[in-house]
Amino acid sequence: MAGIEVTAPARATRPADLIGRILENRHALGVLMVTPALLILAIFLAYPFGLGVWLGFTNATIGQAGHFVGLGNFRYLLGDSVFRLVVLNTTLYAAAAVVCKLLLGLLLALLVNREFRGKRIVRAIMLLPWIVPTSLSALVFYWIYDPTFSVITWTLRRIGLAHGFINYLGDPNLARASLIAANIWRGIPFFAIGLLAGLQTVSTTLYEAAEIDGAGPWQKFWFVTWPLLLPLTVVVTVFSTIMTVGDFQLIWIITRGGPANATHLFGTLAYQRAIQGGFIGEGAAISAFVLPVLVAAVLVSFHYLRRE
Amino acid sequence: MQPEDRERTAGGLTRRRFLQAGVAGLTGLALSSVNGWLKQAAAQLPPGSYNPQLQLSFPVEPGASLRILRWSQFVSTDQPEYERMAQQFTRRTGVPVRLEYEAWPDVQPKAAAAANVGAGPDIVLGFFDEPHLWPDKLVPVTDLAEYLGRKYGGWFPVAPQYGYSNQVGQWIGVPIGAPGSCLNYRMSWVKEAGFDPDPASFPKTTDEFLRLCRALKTRGHPTGFALGKAVGDANTWCHWLLWTFGAHAVAPDSKTITLNTPETVNALEYGRQLFETMIPGVAGWLDPNNNRAFLAGEVALTNNGISIYFAAKNDFPEIAADMNHAVYPQGSAGRPTELHLFSQAYVFKYTKYPNAAKEFLRFMMEDPQYPRWINAMLGYVSHPLRVFNNLAVWRSDPKAVPFRDAVARMLPHSYQGTPGPKSARALSEFVIVDMVADALTGRRSVREAILAAEARLKRIYEA
Amino acid sequence: MRRSALTTALTFTLPLWAFLALLLFPFYWMLVTAVRPNKELYNLSLNQLWTMHPTWQHFQKLLFATHFRPWLGNTMVIAVGATTVALSCSVLAAYALQRLRFRGSGVLGVAIFLSYLVPPVILFIPLARIINELGLWDRPAALILTYPTFLIPFATWLLMGYFRSIPAELEDCARIDGATRLQVLRHITLPLALPGILSALIFSFTLSWNEYLYALVFLSSTESKTIPVGLATELITGDVFQWGPLMAGALLGSVPVALIYSFFVEHYVAGLTGALKE
Repeated sequence: MAGIEVTAPARATRPADLIGRILENRHALGVLMVTPALLILAIFLAYPFGLGVWLGFTNATIGQAGHFVGLGNFRYLLGDSVFRLVVLNTTLYAAAAVVCKLLLGLLLALLVNREFRGKRIVRAIMLLPWIVPTSLSALVFYWIYDPTFSVITWTLRRIGLAHGFINYLGDPNLARASLIAANIWRGIPFFAIGLLAGLQTVSTTLYEAAEIDGAGPWQKFWFVTWPLLLPLTVVVTVFSTIMTVGDFQLIWIITRGGPANATHLFGTLAYQRAIQGGFIGEGAAISAFVLPVLVAAVLVSFHYLRRE
Repeated sequence: MQPEDRERTAGGLTRRRFLQAGVAGLTGLALSSVNGWLKQAAAQLPPGSYNPQLQLSFPVEPGASLRILRWSQFVSTDQPEYERMAQQFTRRTGVPVRLEYEAWPDVQPKAAAAANVGAGPDIVLGFFDEPHLWPDKLVPVTDLAEYLGRKYGGWFPVAPQYGYSNQVGQWIGVPIGAPGSCLNYRMSWVKEAGFDPDPASFPKTTDEFLRLCRALKTRGHPTGFALGKAVGDANTWCHWLLWTFGAHAVAPDSKTITLNTPETVNALEYGRQLFETMIPGVAGWLDPNNNRAFLAGEVALTNNGISIYFAAKNDFPEIAADMNHAVYPQGSAGRPTELHLFSQAYVFKYTKYPNAAKEFLRFMMEDPQYPRWINAMLGYVSHPLRVFNNLAVWRSDPKAVPFRDAVARMLPHSYQGTPGPKSARALSEFVIVDMVADALTGRRSVREAILAAEARLKRIYEA
Repeated sequence: MRRSALTTALTFTLPLWAFLALLLFPFYWMLVTAVRPNKELYNLSLNQLWTMHPTWQHFQKLLFATHFRPWLGNTMVIAVGATTVALSCSVLAAYALQRLRFRGSGVLGVAIFLSYLVPPVILFIPLARIINELGLWDRPAALILTYPTFLIPFATWLLMGYFRSIPAELEDCARIDGATRLQVLRHITLPLALPGILSALIFSFTLSWNEYLYALVFLSSTESKTIPVGLATELITGDVFQWGPLMAGALLGSVPVALIYSFFVEHYVAGLTGALKE
């Protein structure tokens, strides 16, 4: 192994000067090595985030710095029917999309977790929806969902399954479903590839042992694969949930939150109020609302993972 | 603002003598000092219609350079002409100009970031009440705005409403004009429905208009008006609907919400009848949907800028020949009450070269530059200064004529209040559009829709 | 035998084709739209699923009448730059957190992970001020330094998992032979962790390639834009979407990444697999 050979010239070169000693100290070196990452995160994330949270407690507008208003924004939002609708929308959107992505992603991962001709190309295709810039794939869906020109409607009418037009983005529930479908399309690869990687860690000897015990395909999945896959599933689901709750582009391009706010999520509402409406304080408060919920979800899932 | 800084004798006139010169110009007195530049101007505008001898220029700071953020073009002839004019400005003043374009809904977030950061483009061409979101961050342009108004026959009434800030007591924006919105219709189908397809005899009242829409619908040619979050198309026609029945969202004090009135009920009841003539799916329409539906012949009538016509001329000559534009009809208000995408330019105070910026805006708004630009755009943008009624474009193609007076016919979206952060917010939250959509699609009863919108407006205006 | 062929068809071939159709349909739609002449675009009586008279005019327009080529270059530079920065930081941080287990590493690990939760929508206004004060406005560096904020958390988590899967004994041997900690990292751990690094690389590259909001706000001049932002600026003219060139751009904008993926997809999966082995 290449790595072993190069250790020979390294022998006895461990330096004894101050820098050398620091580099050999577990704690000092550790701190040194995380510093670049921490620096970037501190300057470009933590600091602006701190500013952002502070804004949530002020009545700042784009032009004016504003002053501290305590929990005023949060109280206002709790009484705001649009905001409450957005909480509902986001919950529904994230729950439905993540569950479907998980199921479909798992199914796809199970399908391609075997040897077959064209395996490489199929696995590459699996990733495609994730590669296209969302701003552009959203445009494709915007057109596919056009009430008059939808290619889905056209096909359904051609084969006689539909007669009139389908109002994909004009009916609140249909609009929600259409956006969830677009999100699922884009999100399947993340689950499929992640879970495929997880499936490959499951040793074949376990399946063989299960087969000897007379287990069918379903039992093999339920008693062997699933328990081993579970920790990974939790992690992938958590990451995906975060991304889905924070979704912005897809909604913004296809409906802008309409019809009648039925598809507004936290991100789009915050953007609309902070940037378009100019009320930065309130927009910041909307974003800040999400955070405790997400943190709680993450901590609970990791606590659960550790127990496993 | 010290007037001395901005003043420069030009053509023997100082700024203090504007007024006198203005009066002189109106009487057609001073026609003597006609130089080459004025000859060029005369080629664009008939003599006597404005005050060519009025002159103003701002002393450009040495070493100045400008960054300008503007909306990317609506029609492909816009940017080349604008760039050519900017180069001309550079040749004349030695001030290099860098133009940056963004899709028009993306101008505001960039300007917002710039306003907040205190750095970015020197000049922004934005929409609606953007300047009123950050009035104290802008260079006052009162001198320039008043000069342009005097020279070019005066601003249309809506221009000062958008350009002037009560908070600062100055003009903070230079009105550029508005991509106008008119009714687009297929002449053959209107004729088929038993109406005269000539734009001059197009229905003038809302009642007659409804009859036309119904007649079109019964002949299998529905209408289509956007009810989704279409910043341009939905806002323009929904505000017209409200106002033309004498209704309005807010009182002149910009505080009292005046939405819950019988007029609003009338507007929405009328809208419900109109909705029955529309193609299915309008509730989800954004700005591009009606263009496509119209060009595909799926709708006979919609509201839009001149972009459909422009696209039709390029790719669908038969539709271009069969379509025409008309002005919105009038309801009980009995006067034009339209909304258009009003655009104005503003200069951020952080600029190191406020004079160069104002000089650039002056140059671009003056004859012959501005007329050339508008002509090149085939009338996509309607002018805010009266004298430009005479532009060649408004004579060259009769189908563009209804767009000519768009700015003259419009009200600010904050009507009856004045533009400001609150009206910006009401517009960005689509309060009026959502109310109309709720009532028309039957998601809510007319009454509930009004009450919901009223509650939201109250929160916005009383916050 | 026949029964098992049928079973394979029902449990494997058929669902797989269904998935492929679902995943590929939007791409197919992009392709037929990208070669469709404008006249056909608005004609509902024609077959919507096929383009009768394909044309290259949209690709031509995209490549020669817009700034697509400089955008492609910018996007590449920014994606490579951001990925390099993010991976360098992540490799070091992940190794330190996983192997050195220094004082406070547990808390830091959680903190880095939690930073993934912060939504960019609210960051960009305060961030704009920082970018400006650092003099990075309208420079690729603005994005190369800000993209790592959403790349580092995931990449670090992934690499920590991968490092965990490499037997510590190998490193211990080298340490006994007198190698410094950094030498161990460089000559032993990194070569072994290559598949994991590759996975993190692909993940980072894709997200950098696709980002919209920061690219919109922090870059100004037309020539310095990235593909997602540039296409929207030049090909959406008011309320007219130039569907042909837009879709051509979506296709051409995805090709470079797709190529990288098709070469590395097996390594990517293998890398993730390694990271997940306990």
